[in-house]
Amino acid sequence: MRRNRDSRNKQHDQQNAKVGGEKSPAILRFVNRKWIDIWNGNPPGTILLFIGLLVALIMSVPVIYVVWRSIAAGADSWTRLLGDRIPELLWNTLSLTAAVTFFAISIGVSLAWVVVRTDLPGKKFWQWMMALPLVIPPYVGAVTYIIVFGPSGWVADIWGEATWLTSILGDYPLNIYSFWGAFLVLTMFTYPYVFLIASASLRKMNRNFEEVARSQGMTTSQVFFKVNLPLLRPAIGAGAILISLYVLSDFGAVAMLRYVTFTSAIYFQQAGFDIESASVLSLVLILLTIFILWIEAYTRKKNKFYQTSNTFKEPETLRLGKWKPLAVVFVVSIFSVAVVLPIAVLVYWTVVGATMGVIDERFFEFAWNSIKVSGLAAILCMILATPIIYLKSRHPSLISQAIDKLSYAGYALPGVIVALGMVFIFNNHIPALYNTFYMIAIAFVVRFLPQAMQSGEASLSLVSPRIDEAARSLGYPAWKVMIKVIIPTILPGILAGGALVFVSSIKELPATLMLRPPGFDTLAVRVYYEASEAIYHQAAPGALLIVLVSIIPLHYLLRKY
Amino acid sequence: MKKILMFTLLALSFGALAACGGNNGEADNDTGNNQGEVEELDGELIVYSSRNETFVQDLLDKFTEDTGVEVRALHGAEPLQIQEEAGNVQADIFISNDIGALEYLNQQDLLEGYEPENVESIDEEYRAENNEWFAISARARGFIYNKDMIAEDEMPTKMDDLLDPEWSEVDNGYAITRGGNGGMIGNVSALRYEWGDERTSDWIMSIQENAAGILDGHGDIRRAVGAGEHAFGLVNNYYYHQQLEEPTNNNVGFIYPDQAEGEMGAIANAAGLGMVSGGPNEENAHAFIDWILEEENQLAFVGESLEVPINPDLEPPFEEAVSFSELNVQDMPLEELGNYFEDTRTIIEESGLDLELR
Repeated sequence: MRRNRDSRNKQHDQQNAKVGGEKSPAILRFVNRKWIDIWNGNPPGTILLFIGLLVALIMSVPVIYVVWRSIAAGADSWTRLLGDRIPELLWNTLSLTAAVTFFAISIGVSLAWVVVRTDLPGKKFWQWMMALPLVIPPYVGAVTYIIVFGPSGWVADIWGEATWLTSILGDYPLNIYSFWGAFLVLTMFTYPYVFLIASASLRKMNRNFEEVARSQGMTTSQVFFKVNLPLLRPAIGAGAILISLYVLSDFGAVAMLRYVTFTSAIYFQQAGFDIESASVLSLVLILLTIFILWIEAYTRKKNKFYQTSNTFKEPETLRLGKWKPLAVVFVVSIFSVAVVLPIAVLVYWTVVGATMGVIDERFFEFAWNSIKVSGLAAILCMILATPIIYLKSRHPSLISQAIDKLSYAGYALPGVIVALGMVFIFNNHIPALYNTFYMIAIAFVVRFLPQAMQSGEASLSLVSPRIDEAARSLGYPAWKVMIKVIIPTILPGILAGGALVFVSSIKELPATLMLRPPGFDTLAVRVYYEASEAIYHQAAPGALLIVLVSIIPLHYLLRKY
Repeated sequence: MKKILMFTLLALSFGALAACGGNNGEADNDTGNNQGEVEELDGELIVYSSRNETFVQDLLDKFTEDTGVEVRALHGAEPLQIQEEAGNVQADIFISNDIGALEYLNQQDLLEGYEPENVESIDEEYRAENNEWFAISARARGFIYNKDMIAEDEMPTKMDDLLDPEWSEVDNGYAITRGGNGGMIGNVSALRYEWGDERTSDWIMSIQENAAGILDGHGDIRRAVGAGEHAFGLVNNYYYHQQLEEPTNNNVGFIYPDQAEGEMGAIANAAGLGMVSGGPNEENAHAFIDWILEEENQLAFVGESLEVPINPDLEPPFEEAVSFSELNVQDMPLEELGNYFEDTRTIIEESGLDLELR
C-alpha cells in the first residue's frame, strides 16, 4: 500500500512540476529523465496510462472509503464493538477458518494422492468428479444440507420413525445450525481448491526423488511424509490461502446455517443501516485478510523447492493392494457427500417445483436479471482488463505494478465490504446511479476484474513484444497496434476471462443482496430468500441453474491444472 | 383467474353505477364504485416494505393490474434505509410491520402528510396527525406452541415469565427472532414503555441466553415450532393462524400473554404505510394511498397474513380471528412506539441480540 501511494505521489509531483516546468527547462529536463527512468526508458502513452490509473482508482476507492469511514466512525463505536462484539466475532471467524482450512487441506491432499498416484479403479473419472463440488456455491450446498440433515430434514424424519434408533440413541443428535454445520458445508465445498492444485503438482513430481528415498530404505508412508509432502508445500500453501480467504468472505452459507462471522455481522449491520458499526467491523475483516495474505507471502519466501526438469520421469503408480477397498470407500464417501447428495436434492426439489409450476414468467425474469447484470460485468471486465495487462506486461515499472496491485484490492476482500463501499460512494456522490443495477455490475467488476486479468495475462505472455515492435516499425501508432494486433491475438484468453467473471457474478450473493435496486431480484437473491423461508421447491430450480452455469469455469480450471 | 375476477368486478361496477351510484358501505359495491373512478395512470411506483414478501407482493400486483402503474418493490427494507437516503430519495411508499418505525420516520420529517379519500375508515388513534402514516391491520404478540411437545398449562402466560431461566429447560427449548427484526423491535419498545429500560434490558439478556433458537424471521419460527424443532416461539398472532393452514405440522396452539386482571395485556402493533417525503413518483404515491384505502384493498392488504383489519366495518378474512375487542390489549397509544424506536435498537444491540442467530 505505502509503495503504491509513494509512486502515485511521485507522479503527482511530476505533473505539478511539469506545469511550472515551462519556465525552468533544467527542472523540466530533470523531471523528464526521472519519468523515463521510472518506466525503464519505455513510458506508455498518455491515454493508456490514464485508463490504467482510472481503473485502479475505481477498483480501490470502495475499499479506501470503507477504511476511511471506519476510522471516522468515532471512539464510541469502537469501544462499544471492541468490548464484546469483536472478540466474539474474531473467535467465531478464526476458529471456523482454521478448522475448515485444516480439514479441507487434509481431504484435498489425501484425495489427490490417492487419485493421482495409486492404482485406484477409474482414476481418470475420479480426477474429474472430485473437482465437481467446486461448481456448487457453498450457500447452495448449505441449503441442500439443511434439507437433508436439518432438524426437520430427511435424516431426522427417518430417525424419528425408527423407534429402535430413538430408544437406543435418544433424540435426533445432529444440529446443522451450529459451528459443525458451517464447518461441514464449507469443508465439503472448498476442498477441491487444494485437490486441484495438489493433483497438478503430484502429476509433475519427479520420480527421481522418490527413488532416492526408497534406495535409502524408506517405506511408502515415509516417502510420502519426507519427500512428497514437502514438495507439495507450495501447492498446499496456495490452496490454504484460497480456502481461508474464502471462509473469511463467505456470507451465504454461514447466514443460512445461522453462524455469525464477520461477514454476516457486517451484512446485518449494513442491512439495519448501522453504517458505523458495519464499517468498523469491515476494517477488522480487512486487517484479517491482509494478515492472511502476509502469512502466505512470508511462508512462500522462506520455502523454495525446485524441481529438476531435465531428468523428469513420470511418477510411478503405486499399488494399493489390500488398501484398495479402503481407498475406494474414502473416495466414494466424499463423492457422495459433496456431489451426489447436493445434486440429488436439487434435482428432486426442482422436479417438485416444476410440477408445481414454479418455473414461470417470474423465474425467467430473475434468470434474465442475473444474465443481464453478470453479462454487463463480464463485458466491462474484458474491456478494462486489456489496457491494464498491456500496461503491466509492456511497460513494467513501479507505477504499472501499483496499478496492478490496486486492481486486486476488491478481489482479495469479501463482497460485503466492496458492497458497503459502493453504497457509501453511490449514495453520497453518484446519486444518479444509486439503486440501479449498474451499481451491482460495477461491484462485480471491482470483485472479479482480476479473474479477467489473469486469464488475459496468460495469453499475452505468449505474445512476444517483438510483434508489437514489428507493427510499430510499420508505422502503426501504439493504440492501433493494440487494436489491430494484440487484441485479436489474445482474444481467446480475454473471452475465457469474461466467462469466468460471468459465472462468478451469477452466483455472487452478498453484494447482490446489499446493492439490488427495488424490483430487481436475481437468481442468487431468490435462492437465498426462498431457502431461508424454507420454500425449497422455489429455491431449487434457480440453485440448479446456478450450479449448471458454474460448470463453465470448471472446464477452464481442469484444462489449466 | 385474476382476469375473470377483474371482468366480474368491472361488470359489477357498471351495474352498480347504473342502479343507483350510491355508496352503501358494502365492500362489494364500494369496490365497484371505486373501480370506475380510477383514472388511467402510468409510470412506476417504488415501494419499500419491511413486511414479509409473501404478504405484500400480491397486493402490489393487484395495484399494477388495477391501475397500470408498474410497482418496483424492495422487500425486507429497513426504515433506516429511508433515513440514509434522505438526500437522494428513492422510495415513494414505505410499508411497515411496526408503527414505531413509521412514527420514527415521521418524527424525522421523512414522511409527508396527505388527505386521502376514505381515510376516516381508519380510527384516528391508528394514524398520524396529518396522515403521514396510517395502520391497516393489527396483530398481537404471543406464544405459538407445539401441542405434541408441551401442554397449554405448562406454557408461560406472561412476557416477564421469560426472565426465568426455567424455560430454557423445556424439551427443544423456545425460539425468538433476532433483535433486528421489526416485530421484535416493536415488542421491546412496548416492554420499555411498561417496565422501563433496566428490566427490559434484563428481559432481552434472558431471552438471548435462554432461547434455543434465534431465527431471522417469524415464518421460520412458526415452521420450526410446527415441525417440533422447538416447543414454542414468540411470534405475532397471525403466524399461528398461518401454521394452522399448513397441510402438516399444524398441531399448534397459541397463548395471548398477560391477559389476567391487572396484567399489562397483549402487546399490540399494526402494519401500515406512509408516503415518503420527496419521493420520485408523488402522483402515483397518492393514487396508491387512495387505492389502498378502498375497503376491498384494505382487505387485500391484510391478505394472507391473517391479521385483523383495523377498519371495524371489515370482517376479518378468516374464521378463527380473535377480534381485538375480546383481548386485553396493552393500553399504549401505538404512536408512542416511535419515541422508543431509536433507543430500543441501541438497547437490543448492547445486549448482542441484534445479530445473534442460532
